Amino acid sequence: MSAAEAIGRPVKRLAQVLRTSAWLGWQVEANWADPWIFLMYAIAKPLATTLILFFMVRVVSQGGATAETFRYIFIGNTFFLYVSEVLIGISWTVFRDREDYETLKYIYVAPIHLLPYLLGRAFTRVATSTLGVLVALLFGRFVLGLTLGVPETNWLLLLCAVVLGLVGVLWLGIILAGVSLVVARHSMNLNEGLSGLFYLLCGAIFPLDVLPRWALHLSLWLPFTYWLELLRRMLTGRGFAASLARWSDGDLWWILALATVGLCALALVWFRWCERVARERGLIDWKTNY
Amino acid sequence: MEGESLSTRLRMNLRAVYARASVRVKASFRERSWLLGETLFPFLSMSAFVFVYRGLKAPREYEGFVVLGGAMIAYWNNVIWGMASQFFWEREQGQLQLYLITPASRMSILLGMALGGMAMTTTRAAAILAGGILLFHVSLPLDRALPAFGLFLLTLGAAYSLGMILSSLFLLWGREVWHTATILQEPVYLLSGFYFPVSAMGTGVAIVGSILPVTLGLDGIRQVFYGHAAHGLLPVPWIPPIQIALTLIFLFIAAVTLRYMENLGKHEGRLTVRGD
Repeated sequence: MSAAEAIGRPVKRLAQVLRTSAWLGWQVEANWADPWIFLMYAIAKPLATTLILFFMVRVVSQGGATAETFRYIFIGNTFFLYVSEVLIGISWTVFRDREDYETLKYIYVAPIHLLPYLLGRAFTRVATSTLGVLVALLFGRFVLGLTLGVPETNWLLLLCAVVLGLVGVLWLGIILAGVSLVVARHSMNLNEGLSGLFYLLCGAIFPLDVLPRWALHLSLWLPFTYWLELLRRMLTGRGFAASLARWSDGDLWWILALATVGLCALALVWFRWCERVARERGLIDWKTNY
Repeated sequence: MEGESLSTRLRMNLRAVYARASVRVKASFRERSWLLGETLFPFLSMSAFVFVYRGLKAPREYEGFVVLGGAMIAYWNNVIWGMASQFFWEREQGQLQLYLITPASRMSILLGMALGGMAMTTTRAAAILAGGILLFHVSLPLDRALPAFGLFLLTLGAAYSLGMILSSLFLLWGREVWHTATILQEPVYLLSGFYFPVSAMGTGVAIVGSILPVTLGLDGIRQVFYGHAAHGLLPVPWIPPIQIALTLIFLFIAAVTLRYMENLGKHEGRLTVRGD
């Protein structure tokens, strides 16, 4: 066997697993409905949260809130959809397969590993979130009349920034999926809560500077804080948080890239450990519901 | 003889209510991860919206609106996930048929689920309120707490009655349950004005939103605590009779739809379908 074959075969196999589990994820998520109905479900959340924030800003507009402020809030909230949907989606797959479909155990009798299977299953969430983000951006641009992008905006670079952040979200999702393997179903609240924690600490919908000092310190440890700030800078030409003003755009790129690599390494170690614990304790076919 | 039979049935149904409720109450304290997930994290999520108003330099009452809305969201989510979609989960796990072979009324099972759900969710709502008062210094005047609490109880009655209707509708659904439940979250947060006075959307939209009991309940509670600053939709004295009427109507519809959907499910053989 040549060296190219030795490398190519596992890569080909990985691609096969990812493709098949992505297809399965799509069938589970979407084959019950007409595509138009499914589309409506996919865009309901981002549009509703956009409008909630729109009315929140409008109702206090006499307090000095401006369209410019709303633009920053809008961008943060829209791209945060990736964090909330993909993060929760991966761990929810564990609960659904383990307890509802009772198929998680069959992954172990098939010639595949759980981790790439879960990554593949996440693709559907990535796709629906992308759709939600795009619809929300169009809604913001054409219905709410927001200006998105400045002459200096490099759209290709923006796409790279979105993808880089998304890769980080995927690995964090794998960390949570590891947790889901060893906890009961209702600990889903824990995962949803973590998404809420990030929503708060990343300053997705408000300037970081209003956070208490201790919370601001925590915020600066989260990669998504830098991700949202970078996206805001790329789309508006200016930063939102004074606390991040000392970082240049290049710094934000470096921080984001290093954090993504760190999350990847942590996720691989953590997931393997959780998987081992779940198998030792007989939790792979655990059923919990009250 | 008939009286005896009635009292026996009543006792049996009360036991069913207690049994279904107690599972939830005990479970919520048995799982420590649940307690954490139910108290600390929802509070953090709600806090983000408090900081939006803080960032906008809004009057302090608006932070109170968010905290009250956050507490109410806990109950609404429980109505969706713990009531409406519960029979779907029970069916998926093969428990639904066990309910159907007992002589207890399905309404007793639903009532037990509602009471257990309310008890379970009160931990979460209390944590949100306590956190709002202690950390954000949100002002909730104690002298107005009693009428607000009365309105709150009426709202819960109407909201969980609506949950019973949804539960019967969700009985036969498959995976669309998950998506429908999701669609009843953020869009309802918007329509019910959980984070802002519902009147801000205009009277027409707000009236439409008032079909949901949580909308009027929250609007009334905010008015009780904050008066005119709450930008109320309807005068407070109108709200209790509306909530009582909604409760009675919803309970009636729930009983009818539950019977209908159960029969339909039996005819179509869908009550034991799993993995749909």
